[in-house]
Amino acid sequence: MLSMKNISKVYQTEKVQTHALRDFNLEVKEGEFIAVTGPSGSGKTTFLNIAGMLEPFSGGEFMLDNVNVGSLSDNERADLRNQKIGFIFQGFNLIPDLSLYENIEVPLRYRGIKAAERKLRIEECLEKVGLASRAKHLPQQLSGGQQQRVAIARALAGKPRFLLADEPTGNLDSLMARQVMELLENINSEGSTIIMVTHDQELARRAPRNIQVVDGQLADFTLYQNKSSDSVAERVQQSMAEV
Amino acid sequence: MFFHYIDLSWRSLKRTPLVSALMVMAIAIGIGITMTSLSVYHMMSMDPIPHKSDQLFAVQLNTTDDGNEWWTSDNVPLQLTYKDAMYLHNAETPVRKTASIRTAFTVHMNNQDVKPFLSSVRAAGQDFFTMFDQHFIYGSPWSLAQEKAADAVVVINEETNNKLFGGTNSVGKQIYLDDSIFTVVGVTKQWQIHTKYYDLNNGSFNAPEPIFIPLTLWEPMQLVSRGNTNGWKHENVTTFEGQLQSEMFWVQFWAELPTENDVKQYHDFLFSYLTEQGTKGRYTREKPEFNLQDVNEWMEYNKVVSEDNKILVGLSFMFLAVCLANILGLLLGKFIRRAPEIGVRRALGANKRQIFLQHLVEVSVLGLLGGVIGIGIAQLGLWGVRVTSSQYADLAGMDLTMVLTAPAIAIGACIIAGLYPAWLVCKTQPAIYLKTQ
Ligand SMILES: Nc1ncnc2c1ncn2[C@@H]1O[C@H](COP(=O)(O)OP(=O)(O)OP(=O)(O)O)[C@@H](O)[C@H]1O
Ligand SMILES: [Mg+2]
Repeated sequence: MLSMKNISKVYQTEKVQTHALRDFNLEVKEGEFIAVTGPSGSGKTTFLNIAGMLEPFSGGEFMLDNVNVGSLSDNERADLRNQKIGFIFQGFNLIPDLSLYENIEVPLRYRGIKAAERKLRIEECLEKVGLASRAKHLPQQLSGGQQQRVAIARALAGKPRFLLADEPTGNLDSLMARQVMELLENINSEGSTIIMVTHDQELARRAPRNIQVVDGQLADFTLYQNKSSDSVAERVQQSMAEV
Repeated sequence: MFFHYIDLSWRSLKRTPLVSALMVMAIAIGIGITMTSLSVYHMMSMDPIPHKSDQLFAVQLNTTDDGNEWWTSDNVPLQLTYKDAMYLHNAETPVRKTASIRTAFTVHMNNQDVKPFLSSVRAAGQDFFTMFDQHFIYGSPWSLAQEKAADAVVVINEETNNKLFGGTNSVGKQIYLDDSIFTVVGVTKQWQIHTKYYDLNNGSFNAPEPIFIPLTLWEPMQLVSRGNTNGWKHENVTTFEGQLQSEMFWVQFWAELPTENDVKQYHDFLFSYLTEQGTKGRYTREKPEFNLQDVNEWMEYNKVVSEDNKILVGLSFMFLAVCLANILGLLLGKFIRRAPEIGVRRALGANKRQIFLQHLVEVSVLGLLGGVIGIGIAQLGLWGVRVTSSQYADLAGMDLTMVLTAPAIAIGACIIAGLYPAWLVCKTQPAIYLKTQ
């Protein structure tokens, strides 16, 4: 469903050029559940943003459901995003003026789902993340972990075919983290393809497929095991040292 | 989605109450001032008799010598001489027409009940009432026979009837104009015109005369004009008779010409009359010069709306533009601060159009609020005009058109001011704000 060939991403800021991604190659099949790990600043979020068509890439070829993303207009990308993709952002990014209920409603509205159906889905998802009683609260009235759960509910409510999650459990205790992992596994079993960035090795291991982003490049775990372990370990150390 | 956008706009306004209040006030003041000047302009330039303004024609005859100058754009005098006006008035042309002159009387009842008062009075033909669409509460215009016989009959308006007869049916009753007894034949409904278009000589916005008498009384009663009299050559006029025969201009003349054919025939009629006068050697002029102008042309020709009024409207719109520039700045700041939220909305499936619309709805809500408050400010401004200027008193009001125009202009103006800020937010890269909270 997703195919990236030699994707590169360069950030140009005043004097510095940052190669956030380089020679990035990845094939994702429908229904996969992939955990992405890697050191901080290695390009994981950048990769998710490009996968979600939120950001243009500098070079390479990116196909999504056999559509060449590079050739799409902004509106076509917005349509695809609207129909297929769900996000859980690293920083939650709830809209501060909207109640939890309304925050979860946002993607559903843009997708043109009717009010009755929206209500059903929102209540169901709030229930799943254990915040049903707080539907009317504003984000700032919640703890970080609770906000994160709202962000998860917002993504789940859209039943996206393709879910991009950036450290969805970063602010949760291990019990809650495991519950969220179960939620993700559930919707994966219902057919959603999931790419999840995480720093939690235990959670990553629960995912059927693990990939590692190091210094803007992809190290597929399967590859990693076959390759001379040295070079990757070296790179990991190097990039750790940079941070 | 539209109502959702309105809901979002309302919340957004409430979130930054100070900035919102500032923007609404800026629009309100701009609209208030614009609407004040625009309302006066609207009243001034409003067609006073829309359903037949293209059938009523002011008649001008140039009976001056060739080379004589006048202050009109085409050098043709605005009024007629008495003898020409009476000729046209009495001519056997198959149209309604009337000469008329403004005069004045002391009105009283020859008793203690009503205090005598001075009133302007119009001497006119009986066609006047039908031509200018005056409606009668009691009675009717005087008859042609009464007019021909120069009977002392009078038509008074509602206000005068209230003053003299307490609003009762006064047809058949008598009033005194100076020392003459007149019999009331009709009471007209109060005439609601803002522009005294049938006689623009003594202030375009004066009230119409409250009392009308037959023009045929002019000569037997030896009446005196209280309008403008304009001479153009030296004439030694010392007697009443001399004035009637003089070349001075002091009579207004109107004809009702419903069809194009009527206009053409009347045109030909005037042409041959003037040709005849020319050959008689009354004045030196190669070919006849005259005008037939309908109500709106007449108002334009007489510059009812002066250049000053137009400049004032222009200035007030410029002031509105300054207000808008301020709003644009405030909107820019407000919308750009919202870019992170917009990034989230874009990531969650909104396309640019939806974001753009959301913001246009928001500025429209601002405009609507500003427009409504602006109506209030305009009312205040118009009240100011009314108390400071008696000449414009009747003009300084807002009719329904203007009340509806205010929010329309406000919303339109806000959308113009909001286009750029809205376009700016909707084209922000969704990802930029997503990496950090
Ligand atoms: N908008 C930007 N402008 C300039 N440089 C950027 C921008 N976004 C990211 N970068 C840089 O690109 C690199 C990759 O950033 P990214 O956010 O993808 O890292 P990450 O793997 O998600 O890190 P973390 O685990 O800390 O979230 C970093 O060096 C970062 O500084
Ligand atoms: Mg990241």
